[in-house]
Amino acid sequence: MGKRAIEMAHTLTNPLRVGLRQERVISPQCLVIFGASGDLTHRKLIPALFELFRQRRLPSEFAVLGCARRPWSDEEFRSRMAEALSEEVSQHQSAWSQFSACLFYEPVDLQQQQDVERLGTRLEAIDRLKATRGNRTFYLSVSPAFYGSGCRTLANAGLLKDPNRSRVVIEKPFGRDYGSAEQLNRIVQACGQEQQIFRIDHYLGKETVQNILVLRFANTIFEPIWNRNYIANVQITAAETVGVEERAGYYESSGALRDMVQNHLTQMLALTTMEAPGRFDPEAIRNEKAKVLQASRLANEEEPWKCCVRGQYSEGGSPAMPLTGYRAEPGVNPNSTTETYVAMKLFIDNWRWQGVPFYLRTGKRLPKRLSEVVLTFREAPVHLFDAAGGSPTANQLILRIQPDEGAGFVFEVKAPGSGMRSRPVDMHFSYDESFGEPSDEGYVRLLADAMLGDPTLFTRSDEVEAAWRLYTPLLELIEDAPWQLPIHPYEAGTWGPGAADNLMAEEGLMWRRP
Amino acid sequence: MAPQLTLQAPLALPPSEVPGYLNNLWSEGLLGSAGAATFTLLVWEPSWLQQQLIRTGRIDGPISGLLNEELLEAAREAIPACGLPCSTAPTATELAWALGQQPGEHTADDLRGQFVDRAISAHRPRRLITLAPTLAADKPLETLVAAYCPLPEERSGSEDACGDVVVLRGGMGALHQGLAMLQPLIEPDLPCWVWWNGSMDESPELLEALAVPPRRLVVDSSSGDPRRCLDLLVERIATGQAVNDLNWLRLRSWRESLAMAFDPPSRQSALDRVVQLDIDMEGHHPVKGLLLAAWIADRLGWHLQSSYWIPGDEGQQGIGAEFERNDGESVQVRLMPVPVGITKTHPGALVGLRLICAPPGQAPLCVILCSESGGCMRLEAGGAASMELAEEVVPLPNESEEMEMARLLGGGHDSTNPLLAAAAPLAAKLLPQ
Repeated sequence: MGKRAIEMAHTLTNPLRVGLRQERVISPQCLVIFGASGDLTHRKLIPALFELFRQRRLPSEFAVLGCARRPWSDEEFRSRMAEALSEEVSQHQSAWSQFSACLFYEPVDLQQQQDVERLGTRLEAIDRLKATRGNRTFYLSVSPAFYGSGCRTLANAGLLKDPNRSRVVIEKPFGRDYGSAEQLNRIVQACGQEQQIFRIDHYLGKETVQNILVLRFANTIFEPIWNRNYIANVQITAAETVGVEERAGYYESSGALRDMVQNHLTQMLALTTMEAPGRFDPEAIRNEKAKVLQASRLANEEEPWKCCVRGQYSEGGSPAMPLTGYRAEPGVNPNSTTETYVAMKLFIDNWRWQGVPFYLRTGKRLPKRLSEVVLTFREAPVHLFDAAGGSPTANQLILRIQPDEGAGFVFEVKAPGSGMRSRPVDMHFSYDESFGEPSDEGYVRLLADAMLGDPTLFTRSDEVEAAWRLYTPLLELIEDAPWQLPIHPYEAGTWGPGAADNLMAEEGLMWRRP
Repeated sequence: MAPQLTLQAPLALPPSEVPGYLNNLWSEGLLGSAGAATFTLLVWEPSWLQQQLIRTGRIDGPISGLLNEELLEAAREAIPACGLPCSTAPTATELAWALGQQPGEHTADDLRGQFVDRAISAHRPRRLITLAPTLAADKPLETLVAAYCPLPEERSGSEDACGDVVVLRGGMGALHQGLAMLQPLIEPDLPCWVWWNGSMDESPELLEALAVPPRRLVVDSSSGDPRRCLDLLVERIATGQAVNDLNWLRLRSWRESLAMAFDPPSRQSALDRVVQLDIDMEGHHPVKGLLLAAWIADRLGWHLQSSYWIPGDEGQQGIGAEFERNDGESVQVRLMPVPVGITKTHPGALVGLRLICAPPGQAPLCVILCSESGGCMRLEAGGAASMELAEEVVPLPNESEEMEMARLLGGGHDSTNPLLAAAAPLAAKLLPQ
């Protein structure tokens, strides 16, 4: 299977495309990774950097400085990374030997000021060795509890003084609620300017998420109908087939609402609903995203339990492939009330979207892995024709984020034969069919953008706060009166609890079954 | 983006005093400031066309070294006046030479090296050294020096990243003598870029002396004798030096458009069955077309069998070639000069491309790319009715030389683009002897 996949990939590669994707080359610089001994570094960051290197998008004046408490040497760091990426390294040995010469390591405890001062000296030495010109990107791949203090020690050591030459990338979650996000923003902004802070949400690194902007604002046919006059409702779904896997420790304290909705689904919501920016400029885009999030609210803020359903997967699957229930997963409290599924209804109080319901849902152990945005249009005012399915199907525009990336449009046509009966058909656009090439992994795009100093795909402080504020009534309810927002069990491998269907049934609607 | 003039009028110094003056400046005069740890940019800036247009009174000064609309318009007007063919590009070396035969004694201030394009200055060169040869071959060497630091409101943080500008101006003989003072002016620890912003024909010994590896060389293979341009590219690439060619960079939109035509997987298998490639170009400078043909041949794994001249209209010759595909079948390639109304800025701009594929058991596929500025009726004519036709318009590049240069500087490329490294030797073989 593996070999065949490689052969297929080879056959499908456009030889004229090789080497052309070099539009933006990153300026000379040093990327400093805190938490370099952790999983994210060898699973995502170094592979993404190696990919950028192989695409020739990294300058020759480039270095990666890994930092963690472990007393590794440069050589040890290189060999550990090589071990972790053994498959890629064996396929591209010569490239790896060049790339690994850019890898350095410094034992640093980010909480210790003297360690960070010493780091400054090491960075100056790297500047001289690799001509990285004092440009630095600091990637905080550390526990969220250290984001604030980490920024402080960097600032105290003078490493964030130059807003044009130093940047900090912060992983999610950015805060646990509105209050903690606001406090963290205050700390971080006291250490540097907002333009230096890159809050990463890897969903925004997905080609198809970015395509929402292009589809909306590079075509004239969509924008005139992209509003309450034509759109009846919008569904945003992010479904996973996997369970909690090895993340029980983190997931138990976050749940689906914090893990998926506040960031990924909310970003999809913002891109789908924002106004057109005046120009393609990071601040113009982020202004519009922040504005629409500030205008968003739960459908019923007074009684939030009426517009939100929480669920938790129980055991399911088939006798041949049984699936464990959430509470029986390793590391999970057997009495856990953490939600693995959440569905909710929102409104956006502005001229474009007033009265249009937005339904968001996400869950683990659902039947399919998929993310999509579905815009359902209003029905034709008069039904002139008999519909083959009983009633005409409303037009739907489906933006498929993953997998089978692309877009689809459902519309009515005349069914063949005598008479004038209508039936729905699908029109598809598929990234695979049109482009063939797999798109970059999200981290490749986002790391490159951070090093380029392009914050378009990163969330700004006001966006993060607006997103947390949107869900505050729910978070408070879960905290103060969890019985009002009970956990509905659902069988693993199904589309979530029946209560989530009722949320839409009240309006005579149904979740789209992809 | 408007160019910036250095804020301070450069100081004229005797050449022997320049290194000492700069050392002194950095060690004492700018105490507390650090030189930007960036790169040295060494520019060969003859600007013969601008100098001749000014001398003959066709434009006013100053001599800036920058191509602007006024200059290009005057150059286009001068082409017929000098008796050159209409297909001559305004930046063709023949035009500057022809203008040199005409009378005129107009003069203007020479500000070469003092105009720094904002795109380039944004990269804060540590030292910008300009070699500015004058029309008067016997003019003695003049050296001008200016240091600059960001204004307080432009400063970006902890350290001032200051740089300096050095201009060496004089006749060719004087500039040759001035070479000795260059070496100590180039910071050994920083990358050095050599931008040969003139014809690749001229002053080979000076180019040899300036572009010593590992300095990174930037040339423009649309300027100079095609054979010399390609040989020089090949020779330099073979040494392992980082070579960047602005003419190659200008092919970006053509390469991108052609790749785009074959992005759908359903079309990709047709690339194994190409039978014919036609490229139409402006004028008689075939290097750009050759580089494009060579890139396609290299990417598709074709082997060159032969190349030959094809007689064309008005004495202009085309180039024909035969390649062998990996499956042993033959591919015919033709590059033809075609007449155009108004030429583009640089010699040998592309007008159109046609690629015909004949996959077995399917209708032939014909991909035609046309330049935005004109049609390509020659390529559209004849026998395409039975083929699946894919036609695209290639946008004109709209970036100045300085923007392209800034892109290179920002990227810090220390090696030749592998696509260029593969295409240049093949393009050299494609050009018939």
